[in-house]
Amino acid sequence: MGLTDLMSMAKPNLESREKILRKLRGRELINCFQCIKCTSGCTALKLLELKPHEIEKLVNFGFVDELAASDIIWTCVTCLKCVQRCPQKASPYHVIVALRNLAVEREAKVPEAFMKAVSQILETGLAEAYQKVTTRKMEVCDRESLKLPKIPAPKEGFQAVFLKALEER
Amino acid sequence: MRVKVAVFWGCCILASQYAYEMSVREVLPKLGVELVDLREALCCGDPVRSVNDFAANYLSARVLALANLTGLPNLLVPCNRCHFTISEAKRAVERDEKVREKIVGMLKEEGLEYNPNIKVWHVIDLLHDCVGLKSVGKAVVKPLKGLKLASHVGCQIIRYSDLGRVDDAENPRKMDELIRATDAESVDYNEKLDCCGSHLMLSHPDTALSLAGGKVKAVQGLCVDGLVVSCPDCGLMFDSKQKEAGTTVGAKLNLPVLYLTQLLGLALNIEQEKLGLQLNQSPVDQLLSKVSA
Ligand code: SF4
Ligand code: SF4
Repeated sequence: MGLTDLMSMAKPNLESREKILRKLRGRELINCFQCIKCTSGCTALKLLELKPHEIEKLVNFGFVDELAASDIIWTCVTCLKCVQRCPQKASPYHVIVALRNLAVEREAKVPEAFMKAVSQILETGLAEAYQKVTTRKMEVCDRESLKLPKIPAPKEGFQAVFLKALEER
Repeated sequence: MRVKVAVFWGCCILASQYAYEMSVREVLPKLGVELVDLREALCCGDPVRSVNDFAANYLSARVLALANLTGLPNLLVPCNRCHFTISEAKRAVERDEKVREKIVGMLKEEGLEYNPNIKVWHVIDLLHDCVGLKSVGKAVVKPLKGLKLASHVGCQIIRYSDLGRVDDAENPRKMDELIRATDAESVDYNEKLDCCGSHLMLSHPDTALSLAGGKVKAVQGLCVDGLVVSCPDCGLMFDSKQKEAGTTVGAKLNLPVLYLTQLLGLALNIEQEKLGLQLNQSPVDQLLSKVSA
């Protein structure tokens, strides 16, 4: 069942729509005139069937709750072609980010890797752990053996402030 | 020309794409750019953007505050994704008073200060616009004549233009011009603006690998000596994960992939080990033998 079929059974929720508009801080979602330029160049269209113009339409109609609960918002590759090419500055990418944030607030299904990155940053300042790598001749190396400098983790006060930042809506 | 810049590496370079870091650290000083590391290693906020936009902006602002501690007005950000995330945060902090007030206050709690005047550079515009093509060309001691290369500039340093990006969104030329400054050839091709897919490694890894594999396959079909990248995410997808990417698209991929700074390092006759060329997982030996011949 396509996204649009799914919505035929849903009821629009204008309050949720307001929430997204607030998050977009003045980006002109409302001006989308469904020219489909965004979708025709979307990196995630062919393999994951993401259609940014549909996302725009559905948010404008108030089907925000359904979108925030859907997997489709997690298929965007963040290539930014839609933002660049939209003649109406309706920024589909930014709409998708706002929907993702709402999904997190509502504790909907969020791909685990994102939450893992956040806890890793809280712990170490970086979203990834330092890795050992191998050369083409299979010698194992790390920063030290490659004589790369050690850059310290954030000072102690960082964690508390970052936690506070995560509370903001 | 000599210039001193602060440098912010982000996560991917510091945690695994060591070849990029090594080659930037080797090559830039030889072109007159002195690098000063920030006090701390920190995430720019990119993966946080999908979770909480405000917290992502806070992390980026904190990066700029760390840069402010160096007293230098220029910050080099060699990762495309970090470059975009920081640029977006700058825009939010500068345009939205409420966001600015909150973030400035949070930074103050740690004794840090946001400085709106720090200019953010990528390797490509720093070399092309600041150092200049002429100086880069003059520094070449080992012209790479005969090498035919394809460039992959990536997505987030060229889009979206309203934000102020490193090069033109639909027809980026700067990276090709830098490649040509070494006397190598840089070809145009249909898939030039196709994305490496790296962001999808977080939610749809198989699709991410198909996107990367599809592009490598297309470039391989051009019969070039290699693909040049300048972002750790693109390096990860096209070089480190090339074999896996090949499996997802059912193709045997063997395309040499290297960083722009590794290529420039070869033209400056810097030892291959110092450029981290032993770390590339793609078959760069083909290309290297052509260079040393
Ligand atoms: S978001 Fe922009 S590009 Fe996409 S359909 Fe609407 S107006 Fe056209
Ligand atoms: S940023 Fe996302 S929605 Fe926009 S074109 Fe790229 S993949 Fe599609």
